[in-house]
Amino acid sequence: MLDAKHGGATVASVRDLKVHFQSKRGVVHAVDGVSFDIRDGETLGLVGETGCGKSVTGRSFLRLLPVPPGILAGGSVMFSAHEVCTGCEGTGCETCEGTGRKAGQDRSVNLLGIPSEDMRRIRGDRIAMIFQDPGKALNPTLPVGAQIAEVFLQHRTDELIALAGLPADTVGAVRRFASQSPRLGDGWLLSLPGARAQRRRVEEALATMVAGALAETQVPNPAKLMARYPHELSGGMRQRVMIAQALACNPDLLIADEPTTALDVTVEARILELIRNLQQRRKTSVLYISHDLSLVRRISDRVAVMYAGRIVEIGTTTEVFANPRHPYTRGLMAAVPGADTPRGRLAAIRGTVPELVDPPAACRFCGRCPYETSACRNNDPFLEAITPSHLVACFIDHPAPSGERPNYGRVTA
Amino acid sequence: MRAAAEPQADDLILSIREVKKHYPIREGALQRVVGHVRAVDGVSFDIRRGETVGLVGESGCGKTTLGRVIAALADPTEGGVHYNMDGMMSRIDRLEGKAARAFRRNCQMVFQDSFASLNPRHLVIDLVGRPLKVYNEATSANLIERVVELLEQVGLGRQHLYRYPHQFSGGQRQRISIARALALNPEVIVLDEPTSALDVSVQAQILNLLNDLQKERNLAYLFVTHDLSVVRHMADRLVVMYLGKVAEAGETQAIFDSPHHPYTRELMAAKPDLEADANVEVRGLEGNVPDPARPPRGCRFHTRCELATPACGWEVDDVVRWLEDAPGMFEHLVGVERQTDFAARLAFDSEEAAGLLSMAVRSEQVPEAMRAAMRRLNLDGDKVEIEFEDVGEIGLTARDDGRMAACVLSPEEVASWKRT
Repeated sequence: MLDAKHGGATVASVRDLKVHFQSKRGVVHAVDGVSFDIRDGETLGLVGETGCGKSVTGRSFLRLLPVPPGILAGGSVMFSAHEVCTGCEGTGCETCEGTGRKAGQDRSVNLLGIPSEDMRRIRGDRIAMIFQDPGKALNPTLPVGAQIAEVFLQHRTDELIALAGLPADTVGAVRRFASQSPRLGDGWLLSLPGARAQRRRVEEALATMVAGALAETQVPNPAKLMARYPHELSGGMRQRVMIAQALACNPDLLIADEPTTALDVTVEARILELIRNLQQRRKTSVLYISHDLSLVRRISDRVAVMYAGRIVEIGTTTEVFANPRHPYTRGLMAAVPGADTPRGRLAAIRGTVPELVDPPAACRFCGRCPYETSACRNNDPFLEAITPSHLVACFIDHPAPSGERPNYGRVTA
Repeated sequence: MRAAAEPQADDLILSIREVKKHYPIREGALQRVVGHVRAVDGVSFDIRRGETVGLVGESGCGKTTLGRVIAALADPTEGGVHYNMDGMMSRIDRLEGKAARAFRRNCQMVFQDSFASLNPRHLVIDLVGRPLKVYNEATSANLIERVVELLEQVGLGRQHLYRYPHQFSGGQRQRISIARALALNPEVIVLDEPTSALDVSVQAQILNLLNDLQKERNLAYLFVTHDLSVVRHMADRLVVMYLGKVAEAGETQAIFDSPHHPYTRELMAAKPDLEADANVEVRGLEGNVPDPARPPRGCRFHTRCELATPACGWEVDDVVRWLEDAPGMFEHLVGVERQTDFAARLAFDSEEAAGLLSMAVRSEQVPEAMRAAMRRLNLDGDKVEIEFEDVGEIGLTARDDGRMAACVLSPEEVASWKRT
């Protein structure tokens, strides 16, 4: 449905991303050769167990990884900001070849390679992130309004000055105030009569913009909420503040890292609905990271299943959930208690996620997979297509270079 | 000491009767008590031998507090937990000496956070072996063998004896907690969100383990959780709590087939399971859980219930809550002169604001049920006099097949309701 609407242009494409961590026991291959695309306006769900590398993948988009001990061992994250085609305004026409984007040369950048000042301009503006725990991600010493305001001060100085009714060529202390880059003595300069009035107008404009951003998240009485500190708010409210902050600049890509895990189910449903509404209205692409399968199924257009630093299966939500091909995907689905599962008969996946220190050239699911054979233990499967949109890394569906191939008919362990 | 009305049955282990747990709120230099947080506010149910009772609700509804009261980790403010000791029901907070020790060994607890509940400086052998030592169940000579036996029951082994908790994964640590709870061969285990910190695949392992142990040892579980799919899988009976009170109780399957309380319905609708139709509409609850220090009158759920009727206990606080969320209204409120919870005079700083309120509460801006419950509404200059129907507590009523629900609506009315 998205391909038809947005022409399937990619907003970001990850190619062979490798993130390793130096530890006492050796180099941990947290993300080990991950490739996927995120298209315009789509939601890609990224699921997997704790420690499979899904958060690290999400954070690498914004370069939020600690380096060291992290090592960007290879690969790229190409990002191309939306530039809507002038001919058709995004609906797809001949000049833009149906992509809805401005034709011309490729304007994409490698997020892992650009200088940090460029990254800073993208972060929070073109790519934003919602974190799992809003209690930790918000600054406890600042009212929430001031925290949302920072996004506008960093990325929307010109709009702010225009909204305040000041000339676009405003310079000096007032502009520095509106771009959050004060210099020594600015406090004094801004206290001078003329500048003081201008400063107040900027502050009022800022408050309007912040209230507008909060109102988008359907909070009651945004003006009152702005003055509150994070600890005064409930978990659901804090998460709404974080969403308001993330969507403030209308980003092209939103990374949502388990945004509802810390919330009650009743609140979770509300937050999901909110993210989906805002996304549809603004055509934002979302990378939705979660360990909750039923939730990912509800929100995603496509799903990628991650295991031990690799993507083992990726496809449209319907394909993956109706016809899971990788034993790990099947295992995850069977482990969720259903209405008719007899008690004590949950299909648990035996064992735990392996440590990713110098992994051998074998399928990473070996040791936990009920169907493994010699082919799995001696060869490393890679993602191959079953249908044009459904890719799986397993020898059940693809020929193995050597050894006996596994199949679903035979349980070997 | 035993009251005559208490239930008597051989298979009864614990009987929770009208348990209340209130925590004082202290303020000022003298730490004067200015109110109470009513974490648990009158809850009753029974736990029988070999069964699993599920206790579900949102965070802050008092389910963990109740679990702690039942495990005698907190004393109830009122009411009590009665324990079947050799055919006699005795209140656990009045037990002394040997009887108290007997209760403690027969009622164990597994906590949510295995990082916090296992001492990081102790080895597994100390953690699991301590109850055996305290109750003189094992001497140092056979302690190791007993601990190994317990570890093997939970899927660990001899090689894990001399390790510290941090050397284990989350699932393994939860297994250690379970082994410790099993050490004294208890009758009942309070499981406080035992799997919510775990991945689904590991959760499945732990749930299977708990089931096997239950069958082997005829254990009773009180399973405290917020995860409905887990509770449906595990529990024979279900107690749904909201804001310190029981909203609904009964057989698990019956409740899932037809919830009798709108809150249960909302909980179930918020999280459809993996098998459900992918296109099923999902909507959560609007608003926050009200302050448990001042719980709503009538039915506690009426502030968030889309099915609320005029008989659900609309009160002055509902008007004040509405004012708080209405942009630019709360600032004009200068005083609330309360005659009862249901009648008050709201004073504003201008006649205009008072007029706006009296218009608003007559309009679509407030729930229809709230308008219908309004007995009187007078605009008097800058004051608004408002009075609602006086409604008593809406308590649990018995339904068919041992079910209980605290709702004024009939099951058919709850079931037939569709979202607009």
